Amino acid sequence: MAATPSDTPLVKLRELVKVYDTGEVPFTALKGIDLDVYSGEFVGLIGKSGSGKTTLINMITGIDHPTSGEVMIGDTPVHRLGENALAKWRGRNIGVVFQFFQLLPTLTILENVLLPMDFCSTYPLRERVPRAMDLLEQVELADQAHKLPAALSGGQQQRAAIARALANDPPILAADEPTGNLDSKTAEAVFGLFERLVEQHKTIIMVTHDNDLASRVRRALHVADGEIVEERIHRERHTG
Amino acid sequence: MRPVAPRYRKAFRDLTSHWFRTMLVVLSIAIGIFAVGVMLGGREILMREFHADHSSSVPPSVTYRTADFESETVEQAAGQPGIEAAQARRSASLRYALNGTDEERSITLEAFDDFRALDVGKVVPLDGAPWPPSDGEIVLEASAKIVDGYSVGDVLEIETAEGEVVEFELVGFAHDINAMPAKFVGHETGYVTLDSMEDLGESRAFNQLSLTFDGEDLTWSEASRRAVDIRERLFEDEDIVVFYTDVPEPGSHFLGDIFDALSLLLLALGGLALGLSAFLVVNTVSALMAQQVRQVGIMKAVGGSAGQLERLYAVIVTMYGLIACAVGLPLTAAGTQWFTDYAAGMLNFRVTSYAPPVWVVLVEVAVGMLVPLLAASGPVRRGVRMSVVRALNGTGINTARFGHGLVDRVLGMIRGLPRPVALSLRNTFLRKGRLALTLSTLVLASAVVMAVWSVRASIEQTIDDLETWWGFDLQLTLAMPQPAAEVISEVEGVAGVTAAEAWSVFPAALVRDDGSENESFTIVGLDPETDFVRPHVVEGRWIEQGDTDAVVINTDAQNAESTLGVGDVLTLGVTGAEDEWRVVGVTKGQLGGPALYCNEEQLTEVTGGLGVTRVLVRGGRADADDRGDLLASVEDALNDAGYQVTSATTRVELADQLREWLGILVAFLVLMATLLAAVGVIGLTGTMSINVLESTREIGVMRATGAQHKAIYQIYVTEGVTVGVIAWFLGALLTYPISYGLVLGLETAIGIPLTYTFSWWGLAGWLALMLLISAFASIAPAFRASQVSVRDAISYE
Repeated sequence: MAATPSDTPLVKLRELVKVYDTGEVPFTALKGIDLDVYSGEFVGLIGKSGSGKTTLINMITGIDHPTSGEVMIGDTPVHRLGENALAKWRGRNIGVVFQFFQLLPTLTILENVLLPMDFCSTYPLRERVPRAMDLLEQVELADQAHKLPAALSGGQQQRAAIARALANDPPILAADEPTGNLDSKTAEAVFGLFERLVEQHKTIIMVTHDNDLASRVRRALHVADGEIVEERIHRERHTG
Repeated sequence: MRPVAPRYRKAFRDLTSHWFRTMLVVLSIAIGIFAVGVMLGGREILMREFHADHSSSVPPSVTYRTADFESETVEQAAGQPGIEAAQARRSASLRYALNGTDEERSITLEAFDDFRALDVGKVVPLDGAPWPPSDGEIVLEASAKIVDGYSVGDVLEIETAEGEVVEFELVGFAHDINAMPAKFVGHETGYVTLDSMEDLGESRAFNQLSLTFDGEDLTWSEASRRAVDIRERLFEDEDIVVFYTDVPEPGSHFLGDIFDALSLLLLALGGLALGLSAFLVVNTVSALMAQQVRQVGIMKAVGGSAGQLERLYAVIVTMYGLIACAVGLPLTAAGTQWFTDYAAGMLNFRVTSYAPPVWVVLVEVAVGMLVPLLAASGPVRRGVRMSVVRALNGTGINTARFGHGLVDRVLGMIRGLPRPVALSLRNTFLRKGRLALTLSTLVLASAVVMAVWSVRASIEQTIDDLETWWGFDLQLTLAMPQPAAEVISEVEGVAGVTAAEAWSVFPAALVRDDGSENESFTIVGLDPETDFVRPHVVEGRWIEQGDTDAVVINTDAQNAESTLGVGDVLTLGVTGAEDEWRVVGVTKGQLGGPALYCNEEQLTEVTGGLGVTRVLVRGGRADADDRGDLLASVEDALNDAGYQVTSATTRVELADQLREWLGILVAFLVLMATLLAAVGVIGLTGTMSINVLESTREIGVMRATGAQHKAIYQIYVTEGVTVGVIAWFLGALLTYPISYGLVLGLETAIGIPLTYTFSWWGLAGWLALMLLISAFASIAPAFRASQVSVRDAISYE
């Protein structure tokens, strides 16, 4: 059964602008974006390369800073946080999934999942390993827990990255092209994982340029030239 | 047990999984520890052990070389007020041949009445050598071992004044820090009993008395004054002739100048090594941190705070430092021990402890631990404070943007270069911060190595200049003054001799204004127009025919009495008479001690026609072996005529002794330069390796687009060579001021005007070495990179 989004926006963006200084001519990547995302929503940001969708998700995760405008996540004014405060806040509140997985190569899969708990001290020590193993079980990687990332396939690495993103049980999962580096079968498995997480009341914001996947999220926002130019709501979501 | 947190497991695995990188970083830090430790530690141990050895020998405050005296004089001396201890010995200068060979060498034999109770100028038997030796046995001063590889059981056939040969068996070695090392003076020192002295036709009576004066902070002037006072009371009142009185500067040693120079060199080069090591460590650690930026971004993305990441990298760098210390400190201890032994062997002193002072160990640990932490602090701080997106995109510390600066534009304008070469040149300037750090290390190393080359050339040139002083082939010293005409006649009768000359050479005492004397001078009477010497007058003029009271002093004399200068009027005591002399010029010394040159006629008048003691000979053939034969013939002729020869050397041997003397500095300079060059080489290798490691992805891309091994090699070797050539060029610009400063410092330390010579060969040699080194430094990492598969190269972290 699908979760029902709440009435209070969990993510609130107001007049968000991002300008990159590229040397001779400044490039405006985001042109005054206003956006509300509600708890339990599965939002897809779609658009062509260079449209500003990655910049937008980076503003939400605090991975990048806006030139102007506001980013409110819950009650937190993310745009006002410094790098250090952002890191702590992000570790507890947002799980980030990257296109290229970004697992630490010298840590095993289990240790990669333990890392956010270690940094944020979110669980007692004795609970961390069972929890990490539980998450790996959810992404069907428990048997690979003690392997290094290089020993895993792309799909397995991405599922490990999702387990890591869930380590501190954040309410929001932000994924930038999570299937962009995977074959279609593996991409389908990862997408199915996201759908199950939404059923568990996680809010997921996902960047993709895959129109097929975009058509399966509840709410698809089309980004072009730094603006949200179209919004589509899909009342029925496919489950696979 | 609390499990290790994942982030610290990452720290440990970063070290073990990238073993090649770990090895490079550890090696870079360890070589820094080694260079600093060996130079500063070596200097401290050398100075400490040398002074300890010298002090424990109870060096004499004064030594009198006299006509024969008995033990009553010694007892009388010991009872004088102000005398702490007295030691008499019988000394004789003779010639000998080793193990039946024809080659004759000089030896100074010494005998004591009680070998086991030496109070002044102590001699220490080594390795259980019999002490005293039995009759017919001899113990040699240990510095002889370095000269000719003497060993126990050798037979020394010593020739007496009467021409008889007495055999002595070498039964061991002894250490005497107050004896001139054999290699510097060209003759050995041996110890025999008084009975053996009698067997050699010598008297049992003593002819040398060494005394120590009491009183702390004894000045040289006061010591000289006391020496004169005691000489008058002890010897002159008893009609015992004193030939020579030696009053060394209290606490000083005859190798003190060399030690001062060495100390200066080691301190200067140690300081440079410290700077070099710091640059090397900063460079290496900065490169390491630049590689970690993306991982910093990932950790921040999953919740790592600045403090946590700073601590994490502090742990990583500390582990590098600990491993480097574990490797570097024992190596440094071994290197310092080797260096100290080498120096001790060369300078003839004993080392009882190789322990460096605590501050040196602290400096070594600081280089190993603190410098890397300080070096890492900047990049780590910047890394953890940059936005995650910049870190993940690799546009953080390791900003590799090309095309914006003037240099980039100039390089971009160069057309017609083969594409790999153009790529290499642009790659070189891609990471300008890294290039600046790499160049700082290499430029400093290059400048110091090339400067050392110039200092070496200056010393060599100085030796060559000094060599030109001698216009003769052979120099012989007679035991007693003899009539000049008769001696010359004997020598000229020897086949192969083309010219001969005889000089009057006598000890001279400079009487200071306060009545004290400096008796370390030698006055030489010679024909002003002689061509047996070619004086290098540095001030005033050389002596002339008709001069009556003129003397020319050498620079050694100026060092002995710093107030001496042209125009001064000196009071000199020569063979008992005091006369006034006028200084008319200063000539460059030959490290033979303070000397005064005057008109032969004038000296004959002063000494009452005592005669000549030095014979100079020129031969017709140029070959050095023939000179040896000629020397033997002349010596035989003089012995046959009844003139006892106490020393006989060829010009080549004299030059060799000079080379040995100054060669100590050259040897140390070369050693230091090699060490510094090694720091530079390892620095370049490390930097190039890290550069190539950082470029592993680019290599993957190039290989994916068709680049073959050869092209990869060409690109990275050209890049390395470009860095090497730039470092060489910038280093060459610094070479002149550094080398000039070092030469000036050395001049002051050893008291000899050095002929500054800029070594173009040094520049060319280092360029050739840099080309080789930089090519080699790039080949190894490029080879490693070329072996990685394209997939692995592209996914390289």
